[in-house]
Amino acid sequence: MTSTMSLTAEEFHPLQTQVEQEGNTLLINMGPQHPSTHGVLRIVLKLKGEEVVYAEPVIGYLHRGFEKLAENLTYIQIVPLADRMDYISPVTNELAYCLAVEKLMKIEVPKRAAYLRVLTSELQRVASHLVWLGTYGLDLGGALGGGSTLFLYCFREREIILDLFEELTGARMMYNFNQIGGVRYQPPDGFALRVRGMIRKLDQAISEYQQILEENYVFQVRTRNIGVLPLELGKSVGAEGPVLRGSGFRYDLRKNEPYCRYEDFQFEIPTGEKGDCFDRAKVRIIEMKESLKLVWQALEGLPEGAISSRPAVRVAQAVKPVEGEVYARIESPRGELGVFLVSDGSAKPFRLKWRAPSFSNLALLPHLVVGHKLADIMAILGSLDPVFGEVDR
Amino acid sequence: MPWIKEAWEATRSMGQSMGVVFKNFIRKPTTVSYPYVKRELPDRQRATFALLVNKETGEEKCTACLICQNICPSLVISMVKEQRNNRGFAKEFTLDLGGCIFCELCVQACPQDAITMIKLWENADIDRDKLVLKKEDLLANQKYQSSEIIGSKIREMQAPPKAPPKAGETANG
Amino acid sequence: MISSLIFSAIVLAGILVAVMYLTLLERKFAGRLQSRIGPQRAGWPIGYLQPIADTVKLLMKEDVVPQVADEKTFNLAPIVVLLPALLVFVVIPYGDNLILADLNIGVLFILAVSSLSLLGIFMAAWGSKNKYSVLSGMRAVNQMISYEVPLVLSCLVPVILAGSMKLSDIVTFQEKVWFVFYPVLGQLAFLVFLISALAESNRMPFDITEAESELVAGFMVEYSGMKFAFFFLTEYAHMLGISFIAAILFLGGWGGPLLPPGVWLALKVLFMFLFILWIRWSLVRVRLDQILAFSWKVLFPISLVVLLLAGIWKVW
Repeated sequence: MTSTMSLTAEEFHPLQTQVEQEGNTLLINMGPQHPSTHGVLRIVLKLKGEEVVYAEPVIGYLHRGFEKLAENLTYIQIVPLADRMDYISPVTNELAYCLAVEKLMKIEVPKRAAYLRVLTSELQRVASHLVWLGTYGLDLGGALGGGSTLFLYCFREREIILDLFEELTGARMMYNFNQIGGVRYQPPDGFALRVRGMIRKLDQAISEYQQILEENYVFQVRTRNIGVLPLELGKSVGAEGPVLRGSGFRYDLRKNEPYCRYEDFQFEIPTGEKGDCFDRAKVRIIEMKESLKLVWQALEGLPEGAISSRPAVRVAQAVKPVEGEVYARIESPRGELGVFLVSDGSAKPFRLKWRAPSFSNLALLPHLVVGHKLADIMAILGSLDPVFGEVDR
Repeated sequence: MPWIKEAWEATRSMGQSMGVVFKNFIRKPTTVSYPYVKRELPDRQRATFALLVNKETGEEKCTACLICQNICPSLVISMVKEQRNNRGFAKEFTLDLGGCIFCELCVQACPQDAITMIKLWENADIDRDKLVLKKEDLLANQKYQSSEIIGSKIREMQAPPKAPPKAGETANG
Repeated sequence: MISSLIFSAIVLAGILVAVMYLTLLERKFAGRLQSRIGPQRAGWPIGYLQPIADTVKLLMKEDVVPQVADEKTFNLAPIVVLLPALLVFVVIPYGDNLILADLNIGVLFILAVSSLSLLGIFMAAWGSKNKYSVLSGMRAVNQMISYEVPLVLSCLVPVILAGSMKLSDIVTFQEKVWFVFYPVLGQLAFLVFLISALAESNRMPFDITEAESELVAGFMVEYSGMKFAFFFLTEYAHMLGISFIAAILFLGGWGGPLLPPGVWLALKVLFMFLFILWIRWSLVRVRLDQILAFSWKVLFPISLVVLLLAGIWKVW
């Protein structure tokens, strides 16, 4: 069957009311506006009764022209723009970009800045996984019902983290915190005390969720043996992060290629066994607890000193790297986030390419969904955790 | 028999979920009745702008040097310069809050510490024209200033270390 | 004749107002379970004007009928869904000798009439001529037919124990001990009844037909305005009906020590209603084939066993 992506609206409509001869299949469109695709995603499905025979994701509904826009802005002005790529975890985006520029310009970041970067990245990881957990509850349980209870509890915990960020930087989402050469703000007075108190609360809440989710019979029945990802398929598509770790592959950029002084900290990398949705969910919940341990360690070991090795940028053209190209990557909550930067010696980059983890993870969807029921599509899509800001850029 | 065990497991786990939900019923709710109860904002919160005036002389600090206009990624600041008393003044200063991305780069760049961001609870409006802040509104806002974040403070926070870093003190060991 | 007309008018008005205010109770209760305050502004500070505000809003909405829809089926469906849900309240005893129609076959009447709503749901799904609605309608038919069997069998248990289908007789039989307190037999029958009734009225965790996260609102997706309100009211009328029936068949109706009978009935109905809400707001949804497997493989054998136990108890 030819690809349905190239069909215009007039051609699609008669196909929609056609029940095909072979095998009694139904062509249905899970459109861009849907309460449960995590953003604007269109999935073209062929169903046989309740079972899925063919699925094709159609993306591009959130394309904002980020890479072209970045060619017209100077290096310091791209940091607030990079915030808005993966809007659920902005700090990791800024970090990837700043690491790329620092690698190109061969700048060393002071130790206090590195520890503050680790602190905020790990807090952001917890916040991002809380969003994932809440929306997973919505997918499984419905906007009116048990799922929305889980959603509101997760967002109540996330408010704690966002309040901490608001105290530190002044904004709840797009912080503009990492700068080229270090970070931007010193923590205010009493910040460490409040972070410690909040860590305790968050730890308790996450243990509660771990208990009620892992032992809950209905959750297990909805996620066990659904969407099993064979390791070879995951590696060949380029999937990363909790998706690949759920299939048993112990690979995490924070341990395998440490950046930003992660080698000073001690934490575990959770993996799953079978690669079904339950394993991916378990991996993410355990990752949340490990991140809290990292925040505690970063806070304990925070040295005094400067937070940036370059003075604050006042003139936009002050940052001028030498000619060259560089690729820097970090472990974002969704997988490997990579930035490929080509510079031609001027104040604006020549080319900025954003390697988004959700894009590669989403390529797994057509393979994982075939053979499952309609209701499982949402469980599988939720466990891949795509964010369409970075899929479409 | 295995299915009796499964049925018992199912009932017990569902009862546990219901118990956790019920615990929240007894606790105080997290939400407040908004228009009558407002939230405490931290001092550094960035919501809208204020142009500052020198406390001793009463003169405006802004000299219309155009540095904030050039660094803004969204190009929302525009001003008209005039000369008076041997220094520049901003005759007109317009900031379009509807296009601002709240990145605080203008505050970081200002050499005279003339602009700052203030905290505000309700920033939205139904009329887009009201979001274009003119110089009078910006000067009027300065009585709400509560944060310490002005240009020189950010530059002081980000000042590089005085001595060259010793071994073991930088990001790469 | 006149008095029964007045009585039926009072019952109808009472049930409709109660159903309206039950939506408010659900929203406040759900809000407290989710650690937030429910509706507050309409009718400060409790929100007692919220149902009226909702009704006015739904009345003011435009009545959209899709062009390809089958008009007669589409327009009749809300009425066919609502009427059987209201008819159930005709045979319920509200107190000692306070019943609209004390039929000899009370329980059979309730079971027969409440399954007519299924026809309305399928009319709505078919008349909308929308792929999502048809999928959801077929799921609904599947689910509701499968859960009829355990429902009927578990409703037969009080009938066997009391020896009559008349609802007032069942209540008077429970004066000493309520049926739910009978060892093993009572609790199992009550559980089977509760689960089957929840599945019948499309409540969580069995609301796969109106699954918001997959088929947006299922068979109701093309309805707007007052017709949508009818579906909504039907769901709450069903829930109220289930609470009443559970209270009467298993929890002893209006019987009980100190307080007057009306108060006891109200307390039991409120308790059952809140229990159903509590289940809804804590559990996630189960998939359709798992629902059907549960009904045929687990509930059906258990209900047969319970029926056998009831027979043995009666003979002893």
